[in-house]
This record gives sequence, structure tokens and C-alpha cells, in this order.
Amino acid sequence: MGTVIEVEDLRYTYMENTPLAHQALAGVQLSVEEGECVAIIGHTGSGKSTLIQHFNGLLRPQQGRVRVDGQDLSDPGLDLKGLRRKVGLVFQNPEDQLFEKWVGDDVAFGPLKMGLPLKEVRDRVRWAMEMAGLSFEAMKDRPTYALSGGQKRKVALAGVLALRPKVLVLDEPTAGLDPRSRKELLGRIEGFNRREKMTVIFVSHNMEEVACLADRIFVMAAGQIVAQGTPREIFGNREVLLQHRIGAPETVEILYRIQGLGYPVDVGAYELDSAAAEIVSILRPQGVKSHGPGI
Amino acid sequence: MAREFELTRNITVGQYLPTGSFVHRLDPRIKLLACGILILAIAFCNSYGGNLIVLAFSCLLFRLSRIPLRYGLSGVKPAIPFIVILAVLQLLFYGDIASGGRVYLEYGLIVITSDSLRLVIVSALRFIEIIFVSSVLTLSTSTTQLTHGMESLLKPLGYLKFPVHEFSLIMTIALRFVPTFAMEMEKMIKAQASRGAEFGTGSWWQIFRRTKEMLPIIVPLFRVAMERAEDLILAMEARCYTPGGTRSRFRTYQTTFRDGLTLLFILCFSLLLWMYPFPY
Ligand SMILES: Nc1ncnc2c1ncn2[C@@H]1O[C@H](COP(=O)(O)OP(=O)(O)OP(=O)(O)O)[C@@H](O)[C@H]1O
Ligand SMILES: [Mg+2]
Repeated sequence: MGTVIEVEDLRYTYMENTPLAHQALAGVQLSVEEGECVAIIGHTGSGKSTLIQHFNGLLRPQQGRVRVDGQDLSDPGLDLKGLRRKVGLVFQNPEDQLFEKWVGDDVAFGPLKMGLPLKEVRDRVRWAMEMAGLSFEAMKDRPTYALSGGQKRKVALAGVLALRPKVLVLDEPTAGLDPRSRKELLGRIEGFNRREKMTVIFVSHNMEEVACLADRIFVMAAGQIVAQGTPREIFGNREVLLQHRIGAPETVEILYRIQGLGYPVDVGAYELDSAAAEIVSILRPQGVKSHGPGI
Repeated sequence: MAREFELTRNITVGQYLPTGSFVHRLDPRIKLLACGILILAIAFCNSYGGNLIVLAFSCLLFRLSRIPLRYGLSGVKPAIPFIVILAVLQLLFYGDIASGGRVYLEYGLIVITSDSLRLVIVSALRFIEIIFVSSVLTLSTSTTQLTHGMESLLKPLGYLKFPVHEFSLIMTIALRFVPTFAMEMEKMIKAQASRGAEFGTGSWWQIFRRTKEMLPIIVPLFRVAMERAEDLILAMEARCYTPGGTRSRFRTYQTTFRDGLTLLFILCFSLLLWMYPFPY
């Protein structure tokens, strides 16, 4: 396993050299290992979307270095097409980007642009649609304009998956979905990472999904990575949470409250099951003996 | 290279730089009028001396409105090809018409005289001055102010059944959405590039191919535009907008002494430019 994405002191200013210049990235350091699932969190305007657009060469580094799979993105002779196949980027609200009349055609756009033989294109479309949770037979001939928002998002996801990327980058993939679709999509993303061995990088404002999906978390603020670590390290550290005003998953919030009442719980137990186990442990008589009033 | 997708920076229409200067605070109607008068004066000014004075004056305007001159220059940049082509054509073919002064070169049809040379230089200068002056106007006046000013100035046309209000509403909406669609388009280009689209790969004469490459952007952009329009209609109707109804304004413009003085000054300046026999 090696490092797939390596960012060193990356800086980026929108509308450089105009009075409206705005520095969106101010020296970002980060590296992502192959096969990892990492989350990028941070307040709105902290530069998350700007950062991830560097991963597939939509933005080129103005200062600093970005290396993707060993390729330096500052290299003028960079094979951009190859890079964009390797790193699939799904934008925020991707349902706007569908343009073909039929679902199947839209998913096939990427593979066709790669110049693959038709048979292979078809296989890829089938695979990508099934991966995204769309039945190939039932959906391929449906018109794209007559889909629900959630279905459109799946089609857009399939369109990127059809490139068979090594790294999948998702910008707020679950924003605006209903709880069930959200859960389903999260399960699928987990599948891409665990079963298909894709490296997954996702941006999210939802701490529950960050907690349950990510191996590692990067916290961004004002164009910099201000904290990084496993969910346990981030959510279990009250100082970090307060300092950067990161919301924590509800499980963690509850554990902090219980801790505040004087019970000995492990606040880093952010997963639903382990949080429940923590709570159960203090409900047991031996937990009650030394702490607080009996229940 | 790094700016492959940064479309927004190239859009100067509707770009407003609020610096809060004296020029920014002027009544938009007065600004529009003054700008019109000044441009007219520039159009009639064909001496070197006069044009140099106007050039200096327009630089002063940038100073006064606290806008970097760079902004004006970036407006001139896209016009350079036109200026050059115009200059070459004038230089080559205007010798017969502007035949006064000394003859520098005579070769077949091509005659270059000191008058035609003057025409070339003065036209180029005038072009630049007009861009400067109108840049100051648009950079120092928000689009809302501009359209309101325009509406006020056009009001007399209402007596001739010209739909002044609707016209200005259309203008406001159109200008308001230029940056929005530029953003939208930038996002769309990036999204499609992320899934393998390429743009501008054919040579310029392969129009069909190049157009086809743009389809993944044009189609969704059209849909987005339609959706935006529908949302806008809903929002306007939800706030009880009725076409043709009498409406009051949130912002009313008061012409002050300062505005009057500015207009008077511009008027005198323009008259001077027009009337004064500059020696060069
Ligand atoms: N095209 C652009 N032109 C100018 N400034 C921009 C542009 N895109 C983003 N910015 C600015 O750069 C900063 C970072 O934007 P970015 O989109 O990366 O934030 P973000 O962390 O993704 O926020 P969100 O959570 O709202 O998506 C913001 O302050 C934003 O205003
Ligand atoms: Mg974003």
C-alpha cells in the first residue's frame, strides 16, 4: 500500500490579481493512503470543494505540490485524461449534470469518450448502474428527466463509476437526500471502499456518517487542515471539538453529557453499538457502586 | 493553464467594485448622463491635445473612484484586436479621404498622410478612452442602480407607450444572472470534464464537432436556466408582483448639489473639448 494522494503546502486564490481575490486554500498538508476511506469536514467556505478539485486536476496548484499516484500535478505535460479516469470526482448536487435523454446513454458517456469497444461499454454501464443501486434492465431505457432527485443522483454517480476510478471523491454525496436513500447510499459507498477496494474521499457536514464511514478525518478551517486523525481521536478529544466548533455525532454528545454527570464512560466510543455498550456498562450494578446515585 | 476553468474572472459585465468613493455615491442618473455627454465629446474630439487631456482625465476618474487602473486595462485587452485591425485599415485606406498634411508614403492605392496618421492614433485613443469612461461607470455603479437610473432617464418615453418599466426589469434580471450563469457553467464544465468530457479539441473550422462537444454543457445549462426562471416567477408572484402595477422603490435617488456640480463640470469639460481649438 502506498500513498495515493499527497498534498504539500497547497495554496489557491480565486480571481488572483484582482481586488476580488480570495484565498481559499492557505497551505494545505494532507496525504491519503491507498484503500483508505477519509472524510473532509469543515464549515461552509473552509475550502473543502476547492481542495478536492485539485485531486483530479480541475484546478492546478498555484503554489505547493499535489501528487496523485506518483504524478505531479504541476507538471505541464500531465496526462489529464488519464488522471480524471483514475480519480472519479462526483460534484455536489450532481443531478444537474445529466444531459442525455436516456439513463443508459448518460452513464455510457464517460466510457464512450474513452473509446472503448461497445461491448465493454455496455458491461461497464451495467456494472456501474448496479453498483450505484440502479437495476440495469429496468432503468437503462428510462428518460433522465423523469427520475426523482435521488435516482438522478445515482445516475450521476454511475456515470463516474463507469470510468472505473481507483480513487472516488465525493462532495457532500448525501446532502438533500431522505434518511432512507442516505443510508442506502452510505452503504454503497462503504461497499466501494471495502469490497471494490477503491480509495474513497468524501466531504460531509453530517457527523454521523463521517463517524460510521471514515477511517480518518481531516478537519478544515480557513483553507487549512487544522486537525486530523481517526474518528476516535477527533471525536474523543473535547478540546479539538470545541476549538474548531465541530459538531460531534449524537452518540458522542450523549456520552459527553453522561461523563459530565460524573459517570466513567469512554467518550471515544462513537459507534452506535459501542456507545450503547458504554451506557449499558454504567447501568450495571458494579458501575453504580462507586459513581453517582443508584438507578 | 491553471485557469482552464476560471470563467468568472473574465466576466466584467455586472462586475461592481464597491469602494465607497465619491464617484460611487453619485446619483446613477447623473452618472449615466455625464458618461453619455463625455462619450459624445470624446467622439467629436480629433486633436492629439484634446485626446491626451481626456486620457489623463479618465485615469483621474479611476483615481477618484479608487478603482485600480488595471481594471480598465483588462477591459481594453479584449478590444485590442479590433483596435489594431481598425488602425491598419485606416492607415492603408484613409489616405485619400484624410488627404491633408504631409504625405509620408504613396504606393499605388496606399497613401499615408500626416492626417490619416492622426486619424489612426486618435481613433485608437478614443476607443481606449471610451472603454475607460464606461468601465468607471459600470465598476462604480451596481447593476440595480444602473437599471434604475436608465429607467428614470427613459421615463419620458413612457408617454409614447414604450414599456419602460418592463424593459428595465428585463435588463435588471438579465444582468443579474450573467455571473450566476457563468458560475453555473463553470461548475457544469468541471462536472463533465470529471467524467471524461473534453472541450475544444477540434480545430476552429470543425464547427460541428466543437458544437457537439459543448452539448453536455449546453443541455443541462438550459434546463438550469429554465428552472431558475420558474423559481424566479414563483418568488415574484409570491411577493405579489403584478406587471404594470404602480410600484414604489426601496431606494430613491436624491439629486444633490454635489451631483449637479458634477454634471455641470462634465458639461463644461465636454464643451471645452469640443470647442477649444487645440494646437495639435
Ligand atoms: N469560483 C469561485 N470564485 C471565487 N471565489 C470562490 C469560488 N469558489 C469558491 N470561492 C470561495 O472560496 C472559499 C472556499 O470555497 P469552497 O467552495 O472550497 O468551500 P467549501 O468548504 O466547499 O464550502 P461548502 O461546505 O459550503 O461547500 C469560499 O469562501 C468561497 O466563497
Ligand atoms: Mg463545497
